Amino acid sequence: MWAIIKKEVKTYFLSPIGYVFIGLFLAMCSVFFYLDVAYYGSLQFENMFYSASTILTFIVPILTMRMFAEERKNGTEMLLYTSPRSITSIVLGKFFASMIVIIITEICTLFYLAILYCFGTPHIQTVMVTLFGFFMLSMAYISFGMFASSITENQIIAGVITIGFFIITWFLPNFNEILTPLSLINMFDKFPSGLIAIQEIATYITFTIFFTILTIIVLQRRKSIK
Amino acid sequence: MIEVKNVTKKYGDFIAVEDISFSIKKGEIIGLLGPNGAGKSTTMNMMTGFIEPTEGEIIIGGYDIVKKAQKAKEQIGYMPEGIPLYSDLTVKEFISYMADLKRVPKTEKKNRIQDVMNQTNLEEVQNKLIKNLSRGYKQRVSLAGALVSNPKLLILDEPTVGLDPKQITQIRELIKSLGKKHTIILSSHILSEVSQICQKVIIINQGKIIAIDTPQNLENKVKQENQIKLIIEDKQDKIHEIAKNIKGIKQINFIQDNEDGTKEYTIRSEQNIDIRKELFAKCAKEEITIFELKKTEATLEDAFMELIQKQDEEGENECGQL
Repeated sequence: MWAIIKKEVKTYFLSPIGYVFIGLFLAMCSVFFYLDVAYYGSLQFENMFYSASTILTFIVPILTMRMFAEERKNGTEMLLYTSPRSITSIVLGKFFASMIVIIITEICTLFYLAILYCFGTPHIQTVMVTLFGFFMLSMAYISFGMFASSITENQIIAGVITIGFFIITWFLPNFNEILTPLSLINMFDKFPSGLIAIQEIATYITFTIFFTILTIIVLQRRKSIK
Repeated sequence: MIEVKNVTKKYGDFIAVEDISFSIKKGEIIGLLGPNGAGKSTTMNMMTGFIEPTEGEIIIGGYDIVKKAQKAKEQIGYMPEGIPLYSDLTVKEFISYMADLKRVPKTEKKNRIQDVMNQTNLEEVQNKLIKNLSRGYKQRVSLAGALVSNPKLLILDEPTVGLDPKQITQIRELIKSLGKKHTIILSSHILSEVSQICQKVIIINQGKIIAIDTPQNLENKVKQENQIKLIIEDKQDKIHEIAKNIKGIKQINFIQDNEDGTKEYTIRSEQNIDIRKELFAKCAKEEITIFELKKTEATLEDAFMELIQKQDEEGENECGQL
């Protein structure tokens, strides 16, 4: 699995994909840092993440849409699936590589925290919980994006399916309150208030495992029907 | 080394490969021949574990490709058709990634990468991005990727497609030399290539195996008749009359009128009779000038065409009877 993680992370940064993802996210973060934190003279770094989590909905496909769709289109999936690596290790390798990009992005956001430290002492526990919550949300998003990429060879379609699905989950509570636990983005709102929300964490983990297994099943099944 | 037992691959109602069985011994170089859509790539894809057979089993070096996939795949080096490569990587990075994917031990990795780059003449482009390479180099990179784990079995799907004649010769020589250490199965449309490189040929058509034999035996099978190419200047058109009087001639076919006023014929005669001497004498007597009188050899191409045609006719007859 390490071989795949290494290669995938390298590809993110050999191509513009990794830079575009991190650059776009940080550019938007700068805007939110000004509007939600600096403008009010606040030290609450976590406020920036309420809006930043919305941005994630639209930029996660940059990382995920090519994962399997590109391999399928270019035929390089043959190299992967004829190697002595299991489909599970291939899927997990690609998943963890994306999570590494997320971690790098989160580390970059600490720059804004450093700015706040020039003016006072932000509440570090809340910052840590927010970053952890953001990591959990990203994990769930990436697992779905990866699944979308496994069902098509067209990257654009994979991206549209991903964004479409996130937007639907966004508005689910508007249809019925029972559906609120399925709204990934609404669940995130508890973390910037410094709350370690066990139910939300469990939902994110369940969601991630579900779509990772679904991706493995889709790829395994394609072997017998393609 | 490989045992393919009663393998069938279906896509819905369409049968891509039907009940094929064959085995390949260690150290053999085998050619998989067949027209487009015959089932060659499907067979290769099943042998590499890329797709699963609907029925039957494939054993690679004692391991079932479906049930013991990892063990079986460790023994295979596969060069797919269409040379899929990661174009953003350099040659060395790609080969290194292939080594990692194929679990080449860390202690051997550096040497293996160097060895395959030597074998495939890639040292001078090792730091170039794959996307900037010519097709010939890409083909070699793909082959290097297949070779890096020093596999017991090499599966090469159309290894010389798109190469110039010099590169084709180089790749053929390389495959021949690899045959000393590896079992090789290759598919090709180029029959002369298969007859030069391979010790055994599997001819596949409409998803079924129609012949497994050495190229020599397959050629001999169609050598049931002698065939002679004849170019003559015969203004009075006497050749048909002459042919009638020579014992053993079964058929004389007019091929074409040449620009220099000569005519070209092919003459088929019984296998054990050489008619050239008599034909020469009679033509001389009738003052027919012979420009060319040559016995043509049956080639693998003839064998291939005859077998394919025979199977197509049998297929049509079966349909007719139904």
